[in-house]
Amino acid sequence: MAVKVLIVDDAAFMRMMIKDILVKNDFDVVGEAGDGAQAVEMYKDASPDLVTMDITMPEMDGITALKEIKKHDPDANIIMCSAMGQQAMVIDAIQAGAKDFIVKPFQADRVLEAINKSLA
Amino acid sequence: MEQTETAVDNLKVIVFQLKDEEYGVEVNQVKSIERVEHITRVPRTPEFVEGVINLRGVVTPIIDLRSRFQIENADHSEATRVIIVTVDGMDVGLIVDAANDVIDIASSAVEPPPEVVGGVEAAYIRGVAKLEKRLLILLNLDKVLNPEEVAEVKEMESGSSK
Amino acid sequence: MERNQYLEMFIDESTEHLQAVNDNLMKLEQNPGDTAIVDEVFRSAHTLKGMAATMGYEDLASLTHQMENVLDGIRNDKIEADSGVMDVVFASVDDLEAMVTDIASGGEGRRDVSAIVNRLEHVEKGTAPAEEKTSGAIIPESRALTYDDFERTVIQQAGEQDFNAYSVKISLSPDVILKAARVYMVFEVLEQAGEVVKSVPSVEELEDEQFELDFTIVLITKETQEDIQQRILKVSEVKTAEVKTVQIDEKPEEMKEEKNQFEEEAALPAEQGVRSPEPVSEASQKPVEKSTESSAAPQSKTIRVNIDRLDSLMNLFEELVIDRGRLEQISKELESSELTDTVEHMSRISGDLQSIILTMRMVPVEQVFNRFPRMVRSLSKELEKKVSLDIIGAETELDRTVIDEIGDPLVHLLRNSIDHGIEIPEKRRNAGKPETGHITLKAYHSGNHVFIEVSDDGGGINRDKVLQKALKSGVVSPENAAQLSDRQVYELLFSSGLSTADEISDISGRGVGLDVVKNKIESLGGTVSVDSSAGEGTHFLIQLPLTLSIISVMLVEVQDEVYAVPLSSIIETAIIKKDDIMAAHNQKVIDFRGSVVPLIDLTSFFDVPVTREENDYYSVVIVRKGEKMAALVVNSFIGQQEIVLKSLGDYLQNIFAISGATILGNGKVALILDCNALIK
Repeated sequence: MAVKVLIVDDAAFMRMMIKDILVKNDFDVVGEAGDGAQAVEMYKDASPDLVTMDITMPEMDGITALKEIKKHDPDANIIMCSAMGQQAMVIDAIQAGAKDFIVKPFQADRVLEAINKSLA
Repeated sequence: MEQTETAVDNLKVIVFQLKDEEYGVEVNQVKSIERVEHITRVPRTPEFVEGVINLRGVVTPIIDLRSRFQIENADHSEATRVIIVTVDGMDVGLIVDAANDVIDIASSAVEPPPEVVGGVEAAYIRGVAKLEKRLLILLNLDKVLNPEEVAEVKEMESGSSK
Repeated sequence: MERNQYLEMFIDESTEHLQAVNDNLMKLEQNPGDTAIVDEVFRSAHTLKGMAATMGYEDLASLTHQMENVLDGIRNDKIEADSGVMDVVFASVDDLEAMVTDIASGGEGRRDVSAIVNRLEHVEKGTAPAEEKTSGAIIPESRALTYDDFERTVIQQAGEQDFNAYSVKISLSPDVILKAARVYMVFEVLEQAGEVVKSVPSVEELEDEQFELDFTIVLITKETQEDIQQRILKVSEVKTAEVKTVQIDEKPEEMKEEKNQFEEEAALPAEQGVRSPEPVSEASQKPVEKSTESSAAPQSKTIRVNIDRLDSLMNLFEELVIDRGRLEQISKELESSELTDTVEHMSRISGDLQSIILTMRMVPVEQVFNRFPRMVRSLSKELEKKVSLDIIGAETELDRTVIDEIGDPLVHLLRNSIDHGIEIPEKRRNAGKPETGHITLKAYHSGNHVFIEVSDDGGGINRDKVLQKALKSGVVSPENAAQLSDRQVYELLFSSGLSTADEISDISGRGVGLDVVKNKIESLGGTVSVDSSAGEGTHFLIQLPLTLSIISVMLVEVQDEVYAVPLSSIIETAIIKKDDIMAAHNQKVIDFRGSVVPLIDLTSFFDVPVTREENDYYSVVIVRKGEKMAALVVNSFIGQQEIVLKSLGDYLQNIFAISGATILGNGKVALILDCNALIK
C-alpha cells in the first residue's frame, strides 16, 4: 500500500517539484496545501502517513501548523522543508516534534533518505 | 432695534431651567444639548459631579447643576437635558431641568449680581438680565466649573470622608 | 529535465518575487533596521534560488545564493544595510531581472554575473571578522580526548553504578547543510539514551558551527554500544558514528578549552552533565530568535494607508455617529418598531466600525524598538564596550503618530547610555561590576499615560561635571548652583548648550543634546525626566499622553457598576468563602497560596450603592504591585476584554485609584482601576 503524503508549501512551483519526486518513487500524494491553516485542515481530512512542511508561509507558518497537527495527532510524521538560514527555526521545529528536515533546493536522494528514515 | 448694533452689545444666550428659575449661558460656550443617557458614577468626586458619559466616543464628565447650586434634588424628567459646554478647552456636561430657548440679550439689560450671603454662590453669577417678565441668571461658567475650586471642594470632601 | 511544463509557472512566480524584492529593498533603505523587511526579501530571494536551481538556471541560482548570504548577514546583524551594501544588492536584483526577462523571451538566462557575485562576496565577508571576534579561534578538527578531574569523577561514579561511559565520535555527511541543527538532533537522540558528560568541540562551538564534520561526545548510559550507534545513524546526514568505551586512565592534561568547559560545568553543581545545546539561547543570537518570533506570527497581508486618509475616515465617522444619535432620538419619538430596529442595527454596526477605526492607528511600539538591538550592538562594538539590551513591553501599543516621533529621542537616549553611561569593560571590572553593561528599555501603560524607560547600570551622572558645564554656559548662576538638589542638577542635562562629553563624539551627535530630546517629547505632549545614582546607573523616564491605547482588562461587576481591572496587574481570580476571611490588625485578609493577602472591598472603597445581597462566597481578583498583593472583592466577573483606554479628561484629573475610562460595547462608560494606587 502506497505511503500517503501531504505536501505543504506556499510556492506552487516547490509543491510540484516535491510531488514529482514523490510520485516517481511510488508515494501517493493525497493533498497539497498552500499555507499552514490549510495544512492542518487537510491533515485532518486525509490523515496522511507523512507531511512535508515548508517553514515560512502566510496565514500560519510551518512550525505553528506542525504544533497544531501534533495536537490533533501526536504521532504525526512531519518533515520540515527549510531554507539555508533557518537553522534556529529548524531546531524549534525538531523540538516541537518534526521528525527530520530537508533543505531547499531539494536533491531527490536527500528527500528520499529523510522520508525513508522517518518512516522506519 | 437697530440692526447696526454691534455683536458686542448683544449676548446670544441659551436659556435653561433649574427648579423655578431660569439661567443663561452664552451660546459660544455651548457645544451641544443632549438628552440624559447612562451616567457612569465616578467615585471620590465632589457631590455635584454625577459621573461621566460616552459622548460620541469621548468620555465626558457631567455635573448636576442642582447639586452644584445646592438646590434640592429632583428626579429626571422627559425635559431634563445635558448641556455640553466648553470652558478652558475642557468639555463638561451640565444637567438641567429643561433647556428651552436661545435669545438675544442686550448687554445693557444685564445687571450685576445681587449680594448673597455666603459669597461662593455669587461667584457663579455673572449678572442678572431682566426681560419683560423674566429674570435670567447669567452664569459664569469658569466659576461653575473652576477646577481649583473643585479641587478645594474635593479636598474638603475627601477630608471628611476619611 | 522537463522544464517546459514548469516554465510558465517559474516565470510568473519569479517575476512576482522580484517585484516583491524590489519593493521591500526600497522600504529597507528607508528603514534600515527593520528586520521584518529583510526577512521578506530573504524569503523571496530564497524561493527564487530554489526555483532557479531546480530549473537548472545556474547563473540565476548562483547570484541569488550570494544575495541570500548577504541578506542573511544583514538580518543576523553581521552586515549593516548601509547605502554601499544596498547599492550592490539593488544591482544584483537588476541582474536577476535581466536574466528572468531573458528566460521569458525564450533564452537560457545566462549572464556573466561574476562581477556582481564578487561584489556580494566582498560585502558578505567584509564584516565576517565580527563573527570570528566573538567566537574565538578556529578549532582544529580532531583532538585527543582528555579529561579533567571533574569528568573523571563523573565517569568513575557512573561505572560504579553500572552505567557505561562511551566516547562517541560522530561524522556528519560532507554535504550536510545545517550543521548545528544536525548536532541538535544528535544530542536529542543521545539525551534520550543517557547523559552527555562532555563534548568536543564544546557545546557553544558546536552551536556556532565551529567545526568541520566531526565531533565527539562522552555519554553515560545503560544502553549498549550497538544500540547507541543505531540510534545516532537514524539521524539524517550522519555519515558514521563510532562508539567506544571510555578509558579513564588517560592523564588529565590541562588544555585551555577543557578548563573553560570545567568552569562551565562547575557552575552547574547540581547537574552531572554538559547542558545540551539550547536552541538560540544566547543574547547575541537575539536577532535570529526575533526573526523566529516574527515569522511565527501570522504573516497577514497588509497595505499601506496614508495617515491623512485615516484621519478623514475618523472625522467622517464621527459625523456619522452624530447622525446616528439623532436617528436614535427620532426613532424613539416616532415609536416605529421597524425604524427602531433598523437604527439599533445601524448602531451596532457603527459601533463595530468605531472600534476598527480606533485600532487602525494603534501600532505596537515594537516597530520602533526592533531596530535597537542591532544599533546597540554595533554601537557598543564601535565604542569597545560590552552592552546588552533588554527590551520589555514591546507589545505596548501607541498611536501611529506618536510612534513615528518617539524613535529619534529613544535612539538618542540609548546612544547616550552607551556613550556616556556604560563604562569600558576595564573600568567596570575595577568597579566590581560585570563587564557587560545592561541597558533596559521598558514600555508600559499606567494611569493616563504610556511610559517608556531607558535605564542603564553605568557610571551614573557626574553631578560636578554637569554643574561645571552649566556654570560655564551660564545656564545656572553660581549662587543657585549650590542650592540645587541632585535631581535638579541632573535635569540640567536637558538644557540647551550643555554637552558634557569631552569631545562631541560622532555617536551622540554634534552637540545635539538632550534638549532636543526634551523638546521632541514635549511636542508630543509628554515629559521626560532623569534620575541617577553615581556609580550605579542612570534612568530616563519618558511619559507620553494617552492618545489611544489598548489594554487587556478583566471586567468585573461591583454591585451594579462595571469596572475594568488591567490584566497586567492580575495574578488570579478566585472565589473565597466568607469564613476564610481572617482579621489582622483591623485589616481583613485571606490566605492565598500561603501568603497573607489583604482584602479590599471595592463596594465600600468606591462607595458603590449597594444593590446586591451579600453572599457566603466572595468573588475576588488577586492583583499585585511588585512584591505586594491585594484581593479585590467584587460581585462577579464579566470576562476578559481588550479595551481602548480613554482619558477621563482634564476636568476629572487625579481621581484616586482610577486610571482612566473605556467605552464598553453597550456604549456605557466603565472606569479602569489603577491597582498600583490600591496597593499601598
